[in-house]
Amino acid sequence: MSDSTPRRLAVGVEIGGTFTDLVAIGPDGVRVAKVPSTPARPDEAVFDVLDAAGLNPSDIAEFVHGSTVATNAVLERKGARLALLATEGFRDVLILGRQDRLRLFDLRYRRPKPLVAREDSLGVPERMLADGSTLTPFDAEAFAPRLAAFLDRGRYDAVAICLLNAYANPAHEQALAALVRRIAPGLRVTCSHEVTGEFREYERASTTALSAYVQPVLDAYLGRMEQRLEAGGFRGELSVMQSGGGRVPAAAMRRNAASALLSGPAAGVMGAVRQAAQSGVRDIITLDIGGTSADVALVEAGRPAMTRDALVDGLVVQMPMLDITTVGAGGGSIAWVDEGGMLRVGPRSAGADPGPACYGRGDTQPTLTDAHVIAGRIPSGKRLAGGLVMDGAAARAAFAPLAAQLGLSVESAADSVVRIAVASVVAAVRLVSTERGHDPRSFVLVPYGGAGPLHAAAVAEELGIARVLVPPGAGVLSAYGLLAADHSLFAARTRRLTIAPGAAAEVRQEIAALRSDLAGRFDALGVAGDRRLEVTLDMRLLGQAFEIGVPLPAEALETLDEAALLAGFAAAHERIYRAPVDTARRPVEVVSYRVALHAARAALPGLAGPRRLDGQGDGPLLIEDATATIWVPPGWTAAEDAAGNLLLTRAP
Amino acid sequence: MTAISPADQAVIGQALLSAAREMGAKLCRSAFSPIVRDAKDASTGLMDATGAAVVQSDELIPVLVGSLSVTLRRCMQAVPPETLREGDFYLTNHPYHGAHHLQDILVFMPAFVDGRIIAYAAAVAHHLDVGGGAPGLNSSATDLYGEGLILPPARWNFARDWQDGNLRTLIGANIRVPDQTLGDIESQFAACFTGIARLRELCARHGTATVEAAMAGQIAYVERRVRAAVAALPDGTYVGEDFVDDDGAGSGPLRVRATVTVAGDSLAVDFAGSAPQVRTHMNAPYASVVSGTLAALKSFLTTDDVPFNEGAARAVTITVPEGTLLNPRFPAPVRARMEATYRAHDAVLKALGAAVPERAVATGFDTTTAFCLSHLQDGRYRVFIELRDGGYGAHAGADGCDAITGPLSNCTNVPVEAIDADHDFFRIEAFALLPGTGGRGQHRGGNGSIRRYRILRDGVRLAIYTDRFRVAAEGLMGGEPGALGGCVIRRGAEKISVRSKDDVVLRAGDVLEMWTGGGGGYGPPDARPDALLAADARLAQEP
Repeated sequence: MSDSTPRRLAVGVEIGGTFTDLVAIGPDGVRVAKVPSTPARPDEAVFDVLDAAGLNPSDIAEFVHGSTVATNAVLERKGARLALLATEGFRDVLILGRQDRLRLFDLRYRRPKPLVAREDSLGVPERMLADGSTLTPFDAEAFAPRLAAFLDRGRYDAVAICLLNAYANPAHEQALAALVRRIAPGLRVTCSHEVTGEFREYERASTTALSAYVQPVLDAYLGRMEQRLEAGGFRGELSVMQSGGGRVPAAAMRRNAASALLSGPAAGVMGAVRQAAQSGVRDIITLDIGGTSADVALVEAGRPAMTRDALVDGLVVQMPMLDITTVGAGGGSIAWVDEGGMLRVGPRSAGADPGPACYGRGDTQPTLTDAHVIAGRIPSGKRLAGGLVMDGAAARAAFAPLAAQLGLSVESAADSVVRIAVASVVAAVRLVSTERGHDPRSFVLVPYGGAGPLHAAAVAEELGIARVLVPPGAGVLSAYGLLAADHSLFAARTRRLTIAPGAAAEVRQEIAALRSDLAGRFDALGVAGDRRLEVTLDMRLLGQAFEIGVPLPAEALETLDEAALLAGFAAAHERIYRAPVDTARRPVEVVSYRVALHAARAALPGLAGPRRLDGQGDGPLLIEDATATIWVPPGWTAAEDAAGNLLLTRAP
Repeated sequence: MTAISPADQAVIGQALLSAAREMGAKLCRSAFSPIVRDAKDASTGLMDATGAAVVQSDELIPVLVGSLSVTLRRCMQAVPPETLREGDFYLTNHPYHGAHHLQDILVFMPAFVDGRIIAYAAAVAHHLDVGGGAPGLNSSATDLYGEGLILPPARWNFARDWQDGNLRTLIGANIRVPDQTLGDIESQFAACFTGIARLRELCARHGTATVEAAMAGQIAYVERRVRAAVAALPDGTYVGEDFVDDDGAGSGPLRVRATVTVAGDSLAVDFAGSAPQVRTHMNAPYASVVSGTLAALKSFLTTDDVPFNEGAARAVTITVPEGTLLNPRFPAPVRARMEATYRAHDAVLKALGAAVPERAVATGFDTTTAFCLSHLQDGRYRVFIELRDGGYGAHAGADGCDAITGPLSNCTNVPVEAIDADHDFFRIEAFALLPGTGGRGQHRGGNGSIRRYRILRDGVRLAIYTDRFRVAAEGLMGGEPGALGGCVIRRGAEKISVRSKDDVVLRAGDVLEMWTGGGGGYGPPDARPDALLAADARLAQEP
């Protein structure tokens, strides 16, 4: 391949907890590869998988990467030595947070360890007000000696700046950043108004600190990878995945790292969206089951549901991100009987190494994968993707004590374990669908990950979902998703505005400003492609404490007027609260603007592999492809369509 | 009873719990009042045909744990379930019939399957205003009538009485913010309908008999786990005591005493010896004490994967003498029941700690601080309410948690930037941790925090109820008590003390400081390792 197709390949490499996957797409078609991950030095596996695929960096025109490097830096607290500068009187913002707990009924509760210790935070004499006016001016000259002493004492790698009301007026943050750079030219400085333009100081400060904390780690990692790729002759474009489901050039991510947090599961969702679209299916629920957990997301009309904040190791990050729900049910989840006699599955997992008992590496605890081996859905004695041979006797031996404890046969204990795991996944699907006002029955379930296609039909059955679409290469769909994703930039800004005559013009202006800001950043990064704008306004009745997201159709932006704004709010309000709202009687305000600019990726072939099924197959039926095992239960039929997707349909 | 397989038990049990959670999510997301939406002061659950709680949403606040059955059974006594028809529901907020205070309105809706009631869906929410002598909080009420509209346990019909108006109109006419309150009650109905729909789906899929067996099995399961945990405690009688500062009208401290008797796998809690009821709204009704007690037992005895239900109540007997602070006689007011409920919670924990000293946790600040600033401007009231934090007690393994919401609640604070944008009659000037307020010890108690408010207009009114201005959170095993909370007004050179239950008119230029106290320490202070002392010093360091 190296000789025949120089520099024309698009390559996606996704590092997962267990495996590192590759999908390469070129004029000659698609190739995939899978190698074990190397958690201690994650980039090793990137070059391992290139080797495994027989690719040379010089073959690659476009390299897209997904990793959990940023998230892991937080989990392991291996980021920058960080200082916080906050408005005087409020330097404890990261310690005090919102005062709520992540777990109830826990008298020994401990807060997640903050990224900045109290002694590493300094109050700054200044105060902006909510309207952007200055209450206490910032006097840089007067403050300089205190700041210099503080920075000198701390020997920091980086400084996070979060001043009150900087979302309304960043002048003090800018002046303070300039002062830091003057006093300590080598320090990395991250200002809150550059990370997110939204109000609520704890959430903004936490996001800013997280960004500043992981930035040096991510910068070094991407720098190292770029260097090694270039040494191998790579001259193409390197981009990375963001938690919002779009990608950005690595250069942008190296400067602002917050959007890399929680980007791990995003690529798979984008891959599922693109692959389902090849079959004309646009309303889907994605189901990724790996070794330790299951990730579920809902996609309506090809647009994944988004959320505006999430937790990384208990710390708030406020960024547009895909709304993904995770439950601790994966192939390695261990089955056990608790002290009340209840059969449980997970959340403990045998992981990838030693892995389930059937891997034959010495673990003897019964897992979900063992249950499938016992049931014959994973063939015993056969070599699977990734090179493992399943040891059926070891699986049965692991289940024997559990079966005895329950007074069941080994087969029936295994069947029970599968049913319980399926029930956990069903609960997660309910969370993203029925709990958010969507009927799962009007969606198609799209499973991927090593164990997704094995469980999908059973999950669908419980939810009354009639169709399951199994993409080809379900085991490497995340890597494909990296290539399938658009380039995306996101911006959010709090600007409160009551809807009154003239307000629509201001709204249009604000959106235009955000759009041109994002477009300018795309231009500076050299990102081409058709651009598409997505706008959501956070609105509420005046006096309400909570905003609701009101999506504005891009085509209506030009002619947007006050009536349209109120109508959009009323519709969103009714959908969420199921109660009409009288916007004629009660004033409505815009609180924040959220804007996404996408640069469409050029046409991309599907992930079609060798045909998996000729004609139609009726369950019970086991179908294997190179990366996954697909279970078609009794009462279901399977057929492969022109796009290479396997469509499972429940008999009516 | 139908025998049930382990898989059916686990699968249906999990589906019931996720139905209760889904009901809770639906209720909170669609509610209007921030008390429900943000503070999650609400609860949802499914009860069996006898009124026994099977599952309760475990993601809402702890203070409502375990009391839904108490209320439903009072409703079933008032109106026999045999007389209920499809579309009927029970509704009440009566604290002398199982509710916590009038602000909590409970709805129970029967789930009919094949023409008979197999279960009830329950939803309770704290409402912003239920009428009464003052908006939201009437601290001068001398009886229940002054605290709001009383809705006794009664049967109503959704189509006839709610959708077509009678009950809806009656409630709406007696409350100050009818849009919000009626909207929130509607969210409760929506939650109940969701629960019933899930229950019917389960019956259709698994068979009604199997679902009923799974409900019974779920209760038996929790009873086994709670009994196993109780059996691990040494038999004996253990006493714990704590005090509410005062009743807000000059009398106090008010004793709360819990006697816990462990006999084999049964546990009894008796609050005999607690203070007589008071004339102000500091009384806690029986249901609140049941919840406070069960929450203490849940956090002390079991891991967080035990979903409490009727099974816990079967292993535990709770006795509260009538006429006391913890079980007042009608019509004593009960609005501010949280302080006495917290002391009941703390007294039970102290008794349990005496039973198993190595697992004991020192007492926390454990106080509801309701802090309200209001101002009448151009004929319109502007109201700001927030709930504050406090330090947790230390234990043998670690220091107590700093400045965090009380164990029976999970309320967030209000962002300073939101206050800056919404209120022009005051401004927050500082919000800081208070190192040194946690009780000293080998492990120190959690620290409290201070918030400083500058008043910008004349005539701003402060209404506050809180506790532990006089009686500190005790230390354990030689650990010292946590610091007290407090509140002062700085007016020029003058310093005016504010009581823990108070109502004060402020002037422009006043600076108001309100600080929360710390949790108790654990173990002798001189046993604290040098590394931790150095960490304390760093925490206290002002740059």
